This record gives sequence, structure tokens and C-alpha cells, in this order.
Amino acid sequence: MLDQIILFMDALLKGTGLQEIWWGNFVMIAVGCAMIYLAIVKKYEPFLLVGIGFACIVANVPGSDLIKPGGLFNYAYQGVNLLIVPPLIFLGVGAMTDFGPMIANPRLVILGAGAHLGIFVALIGAKLWGFSIQEAGAIGIIGGADGPMAIFVTVTLAPHLLPQISVAAYSYMALMPLIQPPVMRLLTTKEERLIRMQAPRQVTKLEKIAFPIVMAVIVNLFFPPVAPLITMLMLGNLLKEVGVVDRLSRTAANGIMNVVTIILTVAIGSTMSADAFLTVKTLQIVFLGLVAFVFGTASGVITAKIMNLFMEKKINPLIGSAGIASVPIAARVSHVVANQEDRNNYLIYQAMGPNLAGVFGTAISGGIMLALLGAG
Amino acid sequence: MLVPDTLQGAVMLSVIDFFLSFIVIAGIGLVLAAFPYLGRLVKVEDKDLIED
Repeated sequence: MLDQIILFMDALLKGTGLQEIWWGNFVMIAVGCAMIYLAIVKKYEPFLLVGIGFACIVANVPGSDLIKPGGLFNYAYQGVNLLIVPPLIFLGVGAMTDFGPMIANPRLVILGAGAHLGIFVALIGAKLWGFSIQEAGAIGIIGGADGPMAIFVTVTLAPHLLPQISVAAYSYMALMPLIQPPVMRLLTTKEERLIRMQAPRQVTKLEKIAFPIVMAVIVNLFFPPVAPLITMLMLGNLLKEVGVVDRLSRTAANGIMNVVTIILTVAIGSTMSADAFLTVKTLQIVFLGLVAFVFGTASGVITAKIMNLFMEKKINPLIGSAGIASVPIAARVSHVVANQEDRNNYLIYQAMGPNLAGVFGTAISGGIMLALLGAG
Repeated sequence: MLVPDTLQGAVMLSVIDFFLSFIVIAGIGLVLAAFPYLGRLVKVEDKDLIED
């Protein structure tokens, strides 16, 4: 009788995850808890970190079937892996974004390319560290500070690095208010930070409607590899701007966006199992991501300073760092740093121009990378 | 794959990508600079379009 009970208990024990648990799982569960803490207490990207943190915790409980094939989290991951989720995220972002600041000041769009030096510093750094050229390309795109684009490029070039790259990209985007200001202050003088920019011109409704159509044509024509993302971004924006499909626009910006955010965060978090995540490669990728953000910020500011050499009406170089993308966090950082020097200097609208151009800058870099590296 | 899996390949890719990005985004800037003239091409008043 007792033998039988012990046998049953043993069989039950073997059915749990207890036998597979190791210290790495505890580390990753702590990482998941830290993410949820940062989201709740520090308000760092709560819409992303709560889901990622929770799924990370669940993924590190060995008994969980959710992350195994057939599990719901695994299906969520398939949505990312099959490149369904990132374009839908862009649809929602497009429906929420006013591209007026970018249309109003076309000269500033160049900052959307200038702030992407970090991509290439990280790419070369990754190659020096022994990553393959495709892995290095995927790591470099972290410097584009554009989560869906980083996922899109990584799934094509180096899908095995998706957990590390997506976590690094989203974490650094959340930490931009801490990473960027020291670099921005280091590269600018007080006089430069005090520059006030003139109010941009008024953009007409016709221009705002034409913008998504023109951009969708340009991107599909010249950058087919990244066209799914930008096309959906432009579709979302067209729904917003035409003004006659308000219901669809609100659905894209709210309902769809909320659903795909849950799917995306759960998918990313569920890939963070200790076996895959606790490696030297992860540390290298996290470090290279930081390097990419620092160099991207610096190159944006320096590009703005170079532009000032040729411009009659000077621009505040602090808006250069907004060209790194990560809408609207980077634009907000530019505004806050300028505002700390002069409380009456409002740079947010001007910084949004390069910030939005940065989305296209990252798409162009990603598109070129996919065209040259993706075929192998 | 067009780019060799070497350090030289990575540098080459970076240089091409960085400068090509500048050229393309400058092109987008030029297209946007033409946007104010749209009004001359298509006669639509803002009041005829539904505002946000």
C-alpha cells in the first residue's frame, strides 16, 4: 500500500517541472519580476514590460505548457515569427501618429539618417566579436531604436537571436531618458542648448492625406524588404487622416493595437527561457545595443551641428538625437533637455520631425541590410 | 548573400548603408519640400476635408 502511494507520488512529481528546474530559471524569474517592478514603480514602458516580464516568469517555470508547441504563448510567438504581429503594430502606430511635424520641416528629415551611426558601430563591433555577418546586421538594427523593425530584421537574418535583440531593443528604448541626456550635454554647449527654433508652418489636410500614399509608393518601390511594415504604418496613418473612417482609425489605434501589444509582449517574454538567454552572447548583445544607442544619439547631435554650419537660421542640436526613432520617447528627451536649460523653450514639435524621419531612416537601413544579407 | 562574412564585409555594408540612407532620406526630404505645392495641383480647401 505504502509502496503504491510512493509510486503514485513519484509519478506525480515526474509530471511537474520540479525535476527540470535549475538556478538559471530563478535568475530569469528575478529578471521578469524586475521588469514588472520597473513598469509599475518607475513607469518605464509599462505597456511592454508588464507582459514581457510576466511571460518571462512563466517561461522559466519548467512545467509550463504555454511556451511549448501547441501552447498559447507559442502561438503568440508564431505570430511574431511569421511576421504578422510587427506590421499590425505599425498599423496601430500609424493610426496614432501625426506626421505633420515631418512634413512641415523637410530639411530636418536628414537627421533621421544622421542618428543611425550606432547601427553600423554595433554591426562592426558584433563582427569583431565573432558574430556572423547576418547576426551582426540584426544586432546593429537595435541602434535603430524601433522595436517592430528590430524584430522584423532579426526574424529574417538571425531568428535564434530574437529574444536577446528584442529585449535589448525595447529595454534601451525604455531607458532612453537615462541614456541620451549625458551624451547630448557632452556634445553641445550651453548656448547651443538655448537655441530657440521658429514655429513650423501649418500643414494642410491635403498634405497629410497625400503623405501616407506617397510614402507607401516610395517604400514599396525602393525598399520591398521592409515594405510590409511601412505600408501598414502608412495605411494606419491614412485611416487617421482621411477623416471619413473614424471607426476604423479608432479600432487600429486602440483595439488592434492593444491586442497585438499583448501578443507581442507575451511572445517576446516567452522566448526568455534561461537555457536560451543566460549566455555570454546575451551579454555581448546587450552591451552592443547600449553602444548603438550612445553612438546613434551622438551622431544625431553632431549631424545637427554640421547642418548649423550651412544654415542661416540655426537649429537646436538637441533635436538631432531624436532622429534615432523610438517615437515619441526620443523627441520628448530632446524637449526635456532643452527645457531644463530654458523653461520657455518648447522643442517637442520641432523634435518630432527628425523623430518621425528616424522611423524611415531605420526602415531604409533595415531594408538595405535585408536586401544585401537576407538572400543567404 | 552578396556581402562576404568578414570584417571587411561588415565595414563595406556599413559604409554603403550609412551613405545610401542619407541619399534616400534626402530624397524623401525633397519630395516633402514639394508638398506645399500640392494645393496648386489639386484644388481642395481644408474646410472641404473633414478635420480630426
